[in-house]
Amino acid sequence: MEQKLRREAKALLEQGQVDYIVGFEPGSLKFTTTPLITRDKEEVDRLVINPFIVNNLANFLTELKGRVGIIAKGCDSRSIVSLIQDNKVAREDVVILGIPCPGIIDLSKVEELIGKDRDELEAISREGDKVVITADGKTSEFSITEVLFDNCLGCELPTPQEYDILLGEPTLPVTDRSASQAKIEQLKGMPPQPRWEFWSNELSRCIRCYACRNVCPACFCQRCFVEETEPQWLMPVPRWQDNLMFQVIRNIHVAGRCTDCGECERACPVNIPLRSLTKEMYDIVGELFHFKAGMDKDTAPLMTHYEQEEAEDFIR
Amino acid sequence: MAITDISHRKRFLAQGNVYLPHIAVIEKIIEETPGVRTFHFNFKDEKLREEFTFESGQFGECSVFGVGEAPFCISSSPTRRDHLEFAVQQAGRVTNALHRLGVGAEIGFRGPYGNSFPLELLQGKNLVFIGGGIGLAPLRSLIWNVIDNREKYGNIDIIYGARSPADLCFGYDLDSWDKDRAVNMITTVDRGDEGWTGRVGLVPHVLEQVAPAADNAVAIVCGPPIMIRFTFPVLVKLGFTPEQIITTLEKRMKCGIGKCGRCNIGNIYVCRDGPVFTYAQIKSFVSSEY
Amino acid sequence: MRLINNSKKVNKKDIGKLLSQWSEEFVVFVPSKENGVVMMAKWDGTDTSFVDWYRNTVIPPKAHFLPPMEEMFRFQKDKGSYQLEQPASDGQKQLIFAIRPCDANALAILDKVFEDAYEDPYYLSRRKNRLLVGLGCTNPYDSCFCTSLGSSPSDAANVDLMLTDIGDEFLIEGVTDAGKQLIAQTSGLEEATEADDSRAKEVREASYHKVTRRIDTKDINSKLLSCFEDEDYWEKVAAKCISCGICTLLCPTCYCFDISDELVKQQGTRFRCWDSCAFPIYTKMPMENPREEKWRRVRQKVCHKYEFYLMNFGVIACTGCGRCIRLCPVNWDITQTLNSLPAKT
Repeated sequence: MEQKLRREAKALLEQGQVDYIVGFEPGSLKFTTTPLITRDKEEVDRLVINPFIVNNLANFLTELKGRVGIIAKGCDSRSIVSLIQDNKVAREDVVILGIPCPGIIDLSKVEELIGKDRDELEAISREGDKVVITADGKTSEFSITEVLFDNCLGCELPTPQEYDILLGEPTLPVTDRSASQAKIEQLKGMPPQPRWEFWSNELSRCIRCYACRNVCPACFCQRCFVEETEPQWLMPVPRWQDNLMFQVIRNIHVAGRCTDCGECERACPVNIPLRSLTKEMYDIVGELFHFKAGMDKDTAPLMTHYEQEEAEDFIR
Repeated sequence: MAITDISHRKRFLAQGNVYLPHIAVIEKIIEETPGVRTFHFNFKDEKLREEFTFESGQFGECSVFGVGEAPFCISSSPTRRDHLEFAVQQAGRVTNALHRLGVGAEIGFRGPYGNSFPLELLQGKNLVFIGGGIGLAPLRSLIWNVIDNREKYGNIDIIYGARSPADLCFGYDLDSWDKDRAVNMITTVDRGDEGWTGRVGLVPHVLEQVAPAADNAVAIVCGPPIMIRFTFPVLVKLGFTPEQIITTLEKRMKCGIGKCGRCNIGNIYVCRDGPVFTYAQIKSFVSSEY
Repeated sequence: MRLINNSKKVNKKDIGKLLSQWSEEFVVFVPSKENGVVMMAKWDGTDTSFVDWYRNTVIPPKAHFLPPMEEMFRFQKDKGSYQLEQPASDGQKQLIFAIRPCDANALAILDKVFEDAYEDPYYLSRRKNRLLVGLGCTNPYDSCFCTSLGSSPSDAANVDLMLTDIGDEFLIEGVTDAGKQLIAQTSGLEEATEADDSRAKEVREASYHKVTRRIDTKDINSKLLSCFEDEDYWEKVAAKCISCGICTLLCPTCYCFDISDELVKQQGTRFRCWDSCAFPIYTKMPMENPREEKWRRVRQKVCHKYEFYLMNFGVIACTGCGRCIRLCPVNWDITQTLNSLPAKT
């Protein structure tokens, strides 16, 4: 798959069909990849496909000027479609190199299972529905479902529907999504007071780095509401109250655009379980509006159209 | 080491804390133009009112408590100390809040910060003041300072312009300087209106027409960045060396004392090592993003 | 790597007794995990299991001296009048246990800017009241590069006491007078033997070589100066950066802060909080923003640390702790950038 990817990407640049190739190359740390954004066809040889290609590269589309050949997993392709729906990107300006994705490995789950940090491990490899991890010369085997990201465990679209080139055989969506929903269901089951305490405690750790916002392709505002001073909606001070309001408002702003790629939670340096908020919003959007972000590029974005049959029970 | 020695600069620290403002009261408000106001103020504390000193070019951080702080240069002259002044152009949160205040309102003020116009270098020289819009505010402190010590300086040329007659600030100063025989006052506007009978032309063009002599002269330029960028080449063409050209730079500031990090140009902090710089110094900055 | 005489030692199992004694005089902070996030937190009085798993914290110890948020002062509004109330100086005596050499060195680097010209009362009063007990690293991360910056995993330059892990025990050495005094008034410490001292020396040597990441800092400031205006180079360097604040907020030598006010009815506070030069609005003025473009902000970050701070204070504002590399969501790596600066043209 990697060889095909490099050939296709190189051809796209050589033929002048795109100005940039955006994909993944090996990172500077073990078991890490990093985005490769290049105009240079020689650099395209560095492109990789492996179980560690975490980033949602659609994030870069709104800042690159020109046509982009972009590597997209299922969730990423939905983000691209969502940007097209919002008129932030024109379909003709992207060449989507689709990757059917069997799930991405969450290194923090691996670290938890083995009891060692990422840089202390020797090898991690996926073998079918198993993962083999080598540390201190010893190997251990686990079911792949123990190490995939939560959102991958509930993946609805592993294979891009919208693509120009598909690199590999389509992968089927996950049927049993309970593992992916576990944390969210647990929180939904909590009465209001403990749930409030849970979130005020978690958001106390927030340092307002805005990584959650900046990794998100759905957050493409030139000037975010937190950056407004007249009026000033939130204090820049990282008090849990302001931090919580930031998450609440951000979730409302991305409702209908969030594709559950899980990047916000992964990027958070202080392990705030952000997906427990974003996925719940995702589910609410599904329930109320029967809408899933980024499925069909010709559909209007959720919040910009109104159907007569829509629920009005909240109008009292 | 590139750090400027500022040990000689007076510090008026409230309770020993450099971040704590002194309380001051607005005594007079002058509406210079629709978006620009001058505030006259004095410290509430009697002792500070008497002891406070500053030099032309320095600035202070003014607080509207509950809204925030912003840096403003002190536009009154150290030679006229019955009150202090600063001019505010409406632009953002703090400046809008200042414009909503009335006479008698209390503000915070801490300072004076920054360096100042180098008077020793200006003495005995012919001075060419070039200002645009609200850029006249720091200049006027120096101009009155110079006029109040007139015998120490040579010729004084003042070239001042604004976008339109309605945007001319400090009209009362322009009148005084116009009437002053020891001062050559040239006012211009980019665009006139029906009532305007004066000069029309952009400041750099007017400068080129007036062509002040560079010999034994120093040019002091303050105004919007675009005006400065077009004025410097004209001065150079007229024979001014970069050491003979002085200006003030403006950056977003918060602490005003070289700690919060944001006002730097390379290793220079505009609040701490400036805001007054010569063109020669600016050319030597590691970064051209001034 | 210095050996100080009269070293003592304590068995790792007895660390709790040591901390209990110190808790009488200080509020003791030790490495703890909250939802998997390692940070210094108040010692709960019993748990010393961190001895087994601790490598380094996510939140750097600069948070004890320049907190993520703090009240600068409060004010009362009475009709149009204001009364300012300065908070009592934070005189809490704290002992930060197991601070790593990179983080302790970072504090010495930060001291320079907070002492310069106008002393920062908030930061400096805290520095006076806090004791640092350093712990040398025996298991550096693959992202660490302290050895390229004139330091090492066992550098005791900026701590009051230094602990070295010699197996079942910690060797303890006093570095400053305050540290030596603390040791003198602590009971239950054994004398270290010569064998202990030489074991410590071996451990330090081994740890030094475990740091594999390297950068060449020779002439780094002039290298950066010569490629400063190379827009194409910096555009490429900055391409994958997402302008979040992780690298700067969690950097032990970064210190940029924001000041903001809040007034609710008649009570108000002026806050100081962490800020980052990576944020797009950091330098924004109403009419223009000198660092509108991302590549300018990335360039600022690198050059401030390796060129401007060096010019102003004689020291590079980086201690090689590696947090920026470990925590960056896109694995942007400053060591890769510094190791591939374009040669002088």
